[in-house]
Amino acid sequence: MKKFFSLILVLFLVAGLILAGCGQQKQAQEQPAQQNQDTKQETQTVKIGAILPLSGSAAATGVKLKYAIETAQEIINGEHPEINMELAKSAGLPNLNGAKVEFIFADHQANPEVAKSEAERLIQNEKVVGLIGCYHSSATKPASQVAERFQIPFVAGSSSSAALTERGLKWFTRIAPHDGMETVLFFDYLKFLNEKYSAGIKKVAVVYIDNEYGVHAFEMVKKTIENYKADGFELVADIKYPANVSNVDTEVQKVKAAKPDAIFHASYIGDMTQFVKKYKELNVVPKVVLSYCGGYQDPQFVVNLGKDADYFSGPNATTSALFSKMPDLEKINEIYKAKSGVDIDGPTLEDFASAMVIAEAINKAGTTEPAKVLEALKTQEFAAPYFVSGKIKFGDDGQNIHSASVMTQIQNGIYEAVWPTDYQTKEPIPAFPDWSKR
Amino acid sequence: MLLQVIASGVLMGFVYALVAIGLTLIWGVMDIINFAHGEFLMISMYTVFWMYTLLKFDPFVSLPVAALLIFVISYLTYKIIIKRVIDAPGLTALLATFGLSLFIRNLAQFLWSPDYRFVTTSLVADKKITMGPVIIGLPQMAAAMGSIIMTVLVFYFIQKTKTGRAIQATALDRDTAKLMGIDTEKVYAITFGISGACVGVAGALMATFFPVYPESGALYSLLAFVIVALGGFGNIKGALYGGIIIGLAEALGGFAFGTQFKYAVVFLIYLLVIQVRPKGLFGW
Repeated sequence: MKKFFSLILVLFLVAGLILAGCGQQKQAQEQPAQQNQDTKQETQTVKIGAILPLSGSAAATGVKLKYAIETAQEIINGEHPEINMELAKSAGLPNLNGAKVEFIFADHQANPEVAKSEAERLIQNEKVVGLIGCYHSSATKPASQVAERFQIPFVAGSSSSAALTERGLKWFTRIAPHDGMETVLFFDYLKFLNEKYSAGIKKVAVVYIDNEYGVHAFEMVKKTIENYKADGFELVADIKYPANVSNVDTEVQKVKAAKPDAIFHASYIGDMTQFVKKYKELNVVPKVVLSYCGGYQDPQFVVNLGKDADYFSGPNATTSALFSKMPDLEKINEIYKAKSGVDIDGPTLEDFASAMVIAEAINKAGTTEPAKVLEALKTQEFAAPYFVSGKIKFGDDGQNIHSASVMTQIQNGIYEAVWPTDYQTKEPIPAFPDWSKR
Repeated sequence: MLLQVIASGVLMGFVYALVAIGLTLIWGVMDIINFAHGEFLMISMYTVFWMYTLLKFDPFVSLPVAALLIFVISYLTYKIIIKRVIDAPGLTALLATFGLSLFIRNLAQFLWSPDYRFVTTSLVADKKITMGPVIIGLPQMAAAMGSIIMTVLVFYFIQKTKTGRAIQATALDRDTAKLMGIDTEKVYAITFGISGACVGVAGALMATFFPVYPESGALYSLLAFVIVALGGFGNIKGALYGGIIIGLAEALGGFAFGTQFKYAVVFLIYLLVIQVRPKGLFGW
């Protein structure tokens, strides 16, 4: 029996080692940051750090982001004349004698502390000249502060908390629209539905999770709706639910009692799915449900709910329905899909964009000298044929002033682009049919 | 709307009770807090999910399989881990089950990814009963019925069978029970097994309306602790009543004070009860 016990103990230890090993950090050797790379290195390889959640609760997403950044690396370093982008045509960075770009990946395990130490390691040991990442706003926050301290440019892809660009950081830029911009987009979209389809949407309810993401989204709605009072919008309910929720019965009953025309959701995939199931059970039929970047954008939403996912809407940086309208995006997706096996989705495309933009900024600067790269980032406009906005330009606070999102609605299990009309793949349906008639 | 809130609360209460019954048994008989209880629930949910996904089995078909599997896992947990620490100071067993829970949770994430999964079709899926203004989902109804049946079964097993009486005797006084010729070792293992079977049934019933993911057992087991303390340690009927009280408190509290406070109401009641009656409402 003793033998058996030792065996179990060893098994525990081995499993523990495997789990811990995923996130083990290499010891940082204290060395001052060498900011000016010598010219010899410039002509060979330009190193850029990418900090992602490659293990932990968001590992599934992190791996996809890694594929997207590898796609960018392949496009930059190889020759892809079929893609209409500056860095695709020739191999490497043309203004740096064809220097190759290498993305060095680091895992933050959805842990802000680890994100910080990995940023330090990448800058000090790996000598990266720029940083991208980190998906979680909470991880992007400390990592970008490290970049600020070492005066290295940081380009965030999909982190959406508005707070990130409100810190007054000089070296930080962000591609994705933040939740404040998304809120404006929501109301503009509702106005469009009212004007074009006489949808008669007036009463808005906000359902949000009790954490930084949800609470901030609700604050944005409260602030923004003041500017849309003239259009007849009013807030009829705000329902905050605990971050760990075992059932959403009471929440949905409150939504039902408020009889909203539109529901704004700031929810993750697990709770969002529970809400949809409960909406169905209690037959809650709003005209439109709009979701902040979260559960709705996860393709698992359609997988889990099937036809019950239909008619829900939310902003997305892209959707596979758009590929046929955007040839460059389609070609990028071909390279991405060969690696990942799935189509590129919104957050993934935003991280792809961050990789392209930082490489392009280095190319435009003609050097890896951080100050010049930052100047290029802050002053130049970047072509982004893979976004419906077509371009990326950072404002003084580092926020991309062009919203890269389209409004999508799930119709027959497909994320269709419904607004703006230029990129429409299907017309929006501004009403939920009765749940029994699906 | 108030009626609807009450109905939802009572139904959720039955489900909470079913999770709590297993826990209260171990607690009452062995004085051990099984922190891995929620993880056994999660394994049961995954069992049902995989049988549904890979073999197209309805959750009600996989229910006995899940119950049996968790019975065996629990039985082995006792034999391999708990038996060695049961006579050690109190904290040792607690830490052992805590470690086990972390291990199972991380193993689940490692094996099955952290994705949220659902059993999308079942005998009861998407069906509901409408009674005037009150709408009741059939999955929740089935879970509540299952909970009642399981409670009655366990109650009678403990009260009427020879093994049940041996469990009671061991719970009252282990040493005397031993002197009377009861194999307390076996009694403990069976108690752990029955506790597992309860949570196995609960998991199978809950998988029809609750997402399956590595953390899915955690919140339920926390609520189960509260219910056990509320109902009285080792008291099966107490767990049932405690479950209903907590279910109602959560629903009515969320309705009256705002949904973000629903668990605050639950824990407030818990704090009040243990101040007034440390043995729980139905404890002795």
